[in-house]
Amino acid sequence: MAASSLGRGHPVLPAVGVATPARGAVPTSKVDATTGRPAGGGRRDQLGSLLFLAPAALWLLAITIYPVIVTFRNSVYDENAISYVGLNNYNVLFSTASILVTFRNNIIWVVIFPFVVTFLGLVFAVLTERIRWSTAFKTIVFMPIVFSATASALIWRTIFDLDPHVGMVNAAVQTASDWVNPPGLYPVNASAGQSVAALASSGLSPGASGSLQSSAAVQPGDTVQLGLIGINAATLQVVGAQGAVVPTQSSGSITGLVYRDFSPSHPSVRGQVFPDENGLPGIVLTLLRSDGTSAGATTTDQHGDFSFNNVASGSFRVQLDARNFRSGFTGIYWLGSQSVTPTSHLSQTAQALLSVPLVDLAMIVAYLWMWAGFAMVVIGAGLTSLNRELLEAGRVDGATEGQIFRRITMPLLAPVLVVVLVTMIINVLKIFDVILNMAPGASQGDASTLALLMFNSGFTGGIHSGLASAVAVILFLLVVPAMVANLRRIRG
Amino acid sequence: MNPRILPLAVVGVLLLSACGTSNAPTTSSQQGGSVSLWAEWSSGEQAAFTAALSPFESQSGTTVNYSSKGSNIDTVLAAAVAGGAPPDVALIPDPGTLQTLAKQGKITDLTSILSGLSSNYGSAWNTLGSYNGKLYGVWFKGANKNTIWYNPAQFAAASISSPPKSWEELIQDVSTLKAAGVTPFSLCTDIGWPVADFWQNVYLKTAGADKYNALAAHSVKWTDPTVTTAFTTMAQLVGTPSNLAGGLQGSLSNAYPACVDKVFPKAGSQPQAAMVFEGDFVATEITGNSKNYMPGTTGSGGSSCTTDPSKTPCYNFFDFPAPSANSANSAAIQGAGDVAVMLKDTPQSEALIKYLAGPDAAAIWAHLGGFASPNKKVPASAYPDPVSKGIAQALVGASSFVFSLDDLQGTWEKNMWQDLLDYLKNPSSSSISSIEATMDQQATAGLGH
Repeated sequence: MAASSLGRGHPVLPAVGVATPARGAVPTSKVDATTGRPAGGGRRDQLGSLLFLAPAALWLLAITIYPVIVTFRNSVYDENAISYVGLNNYNVLFSTASILVTFRNNIIWVVIFPFVVTFLGLVFAVLTERIRWSTAFKTIVFMPIVFSATASALIWRTIFDLDPHVGMVNAAVQTASDWVNPPGLYPVNASAGQSVAALASSGLSPGASGSLQSSAAVQPGDTVQLGLIGINAATLQVVGAQGAVVPTQSSGSITGLVYRDFSPSHPSVRGQVFPDENGLPGIVLTLLRSDGTSAGATTTDQHGDFSFNNVASGSFRVQLDARNFRSGFTGIYWLGSQSVTPTSHLSQTAQALLSVPLVDLAMIVAYLWMWAGFAMVVIGAGLTSLNRELLEAGRVDGATEGQIFRRITMPLLAPVLVVVLVTMIINVLKIFDVILNMAPGASQGDASTLALLMFNSGFTGGIHSGLASAVAVILFLLVVPAMVANLRRIRG
Repeated sequence: MNPRILPLAVVGVLLLSACGTSNAPTTSSQQGGSVSLWAEWSSGEQAAFTAALSPFESQSGTTVNYSSKGSNIDTVLAAAVAGGAPPDVALIPDPGTLQTLAKQGKITDLTSILSGLSSNYGSAWNTLGSYNGKLYGVWFKGANKNTIWYNPAQFAAASISSPPKSWEELIQDVSTLKAAGVTPFSLCTDIGWPVADFWQNVYLKTAGADKYNALAAHSVKWTDPTVTTAFTTMAQLVGTPSNLAGGLQGSLSNAYPACVDKVFPKAGSQPQAAMVFEGDFVATEITGNSKNYMPGTTGSGGSSCTTDPSKTPCYNFFDFPAPSANSANSAAIQGAGDVAVMLKDTPQSEALIKYLAGPDAAAIWAHLGGFASPNKKVPASAYPDPVSKGIAQALVGASSFVFSLDDLQGTWEKNMWQDLLDYLKNPSSSSISSIEATMDQQATAGLGH
């Protein structure tokens, strides 16, 4: 036990090296610990090193430093980078509602994503230490990182598709929802713009809460013909509809017919029962008294016929119950721009700043899937290099597992967690490919981030190099603090 | 070597070689020889085009050096012209490029060369190929965006025997379809260009080609009453969510070609709508979904069309209709095309241009499929099916031909798409004026006038 603890007893630092392998790769023995320069070198050696470094440095100057300077310069010039416009581009950025949206989205990403991914990474790392097939589990969680972000985004776009036949998430919700709340035989999909009222063709008018009822009052001995339109021929086959038959009157009963008021031979005539029209079977009907209470219920037969027998005298209406038209679950538009926070009563600018579009959250879920494995591996490496003796000591002193985690593991792991957090903050500040590929065009404007805005204003459609440069400058300024923090931490 | 001199020397050599190319005299003056030809077509289209050129090569003994430049041929050609090394003949997809090149004097006036052949084309096409009254181009290939595709079995389910010929008939058919429980229309509005194509057709059919071109050039303002008419007319069809498969939300989540797949599904699903609008390229998507789809209104073996893609489904199109009050615009067509221009006047390039202006090359490609020619002389029998024949006939008979308006808007094209999407999300008459004002502002900023 003690031997294995010692074997794992590296300091925390190498775990940091996982995130930045280039710097950690220099063998420690030949490096002066305080300056980081090769130990014992003279002026000649330095000159030699400079000579070898020069091509790389020049290259760096040409492709990093120069573009940065030009970008700063262009950000105060017009769209063609010709005339000086002062801070006008920045003014546009901070005063246009559709651009402020991108700042909001960056904030949403930075506030949610790095913390959740670090937390998930921590949970996975701690739990995988304790299970048997940890390597298999780690491999699966880590796998998404090897896919290109574009491929992952396209996968998740399909997973979140609106159509339950395509989108996995909506398919799952549909299965659960239809089980609890089965759809009617003649479903009306309100989210597709359909309405029950539009089905009423002849002898019917909209009733209470999504039902239909006979327009005229009926008395015992009457017979009614109730025509519906908008019923698909495929539905007729499913429900087994047969030719409509006008029922005969019978005293003491209210009889009637519910039929599809569309005749192939007379496609534009309504309100007449033709021989080529079908009755609508399986429609649940309620006989309503004039005070709205129920006086009986029945269901139409294969020919669309029904009858309420032995009805006491009075005036009634026949109701086609709402459940006939109840649509099943038709999908949640996860990739839409509808806000999860209620902001519709606010002004346009306030809306732009305060709403949280659903598509943002869907994309964050996809991005978590992509990066949780990375966080897990880095944190896991930190975890293995923890000084086990401290944990053992804690256990010996009678600390619970929870206490050990909070009081010993977490503080020792803090440097690694911060590195993951800061790396992820930089990562999401420049997030681009997931949004470009996952958000559908119609909600892309509401899902856009600074990096996408920079791309769209600089490289597609209306090219405006000034605006794009200004966005780049802002992005640069936002990343700098995180970058500096990370560099400092790496230097130790 | 002094490092400072090296780059200068390189530039010098490049300059010399560039001059050498541009000043080189044309040596091959007798027939035979060769002609260089650029166009955008690659892979399958390139094979068809090469097949169309082979009779010319065998008859004249001239070798055609074809080079595919892909969709950015305009840029490549502009660079080659500026660099002094253009091809002899090029086929370009943009009438604007033809105008620019003609203005610069970089392409040859074909008026006398084609004196006997220009009558192969209707006046709409010769006007499009002209600059300052002189003919500079031959429209070899045309594309038709004037097409509404429908599933004949779905129309039959609503007892609609013939497709609508006017906008009013279309609206009437929409209500008949709905009564029969068939969703009339499928839209792809995940992104703005399909809405733009749709709106542009409505504008062309209500306001006419002259207004259309004026609006494209922004000499008619976006606040013009004709623009309002186009918006309100469009709303009659797509402004009611129940006319659309999946409603408004479903349309907004449809990326092209999902809307086509909802009308012409793959085997295993049923169609969810009867009609879909987009250009002639929709046919490729339909036949890609299932080889069973037969062009026209009869299924394979003469049986009637079915909605089931695994049996005998069909596909057909009708011309985007004009309101009966604007029936003069019913033969105005929105589309695209490739125009042949001559950049170097050699006997070989003259012979090639004449060959392209005649019916032979077009007939060969037409027979191979995926091609429509505006050339009157191409026999209808060259087209393999009634649908491609119908598309070509519409091009030949076009009273006027206009290009996609959005493509001519330069930097504000994407704003235009977004504005049209915004209108679709809220197609009320009250939102029109504010959207028009926005569009006019953006057009002014984008076009500089």
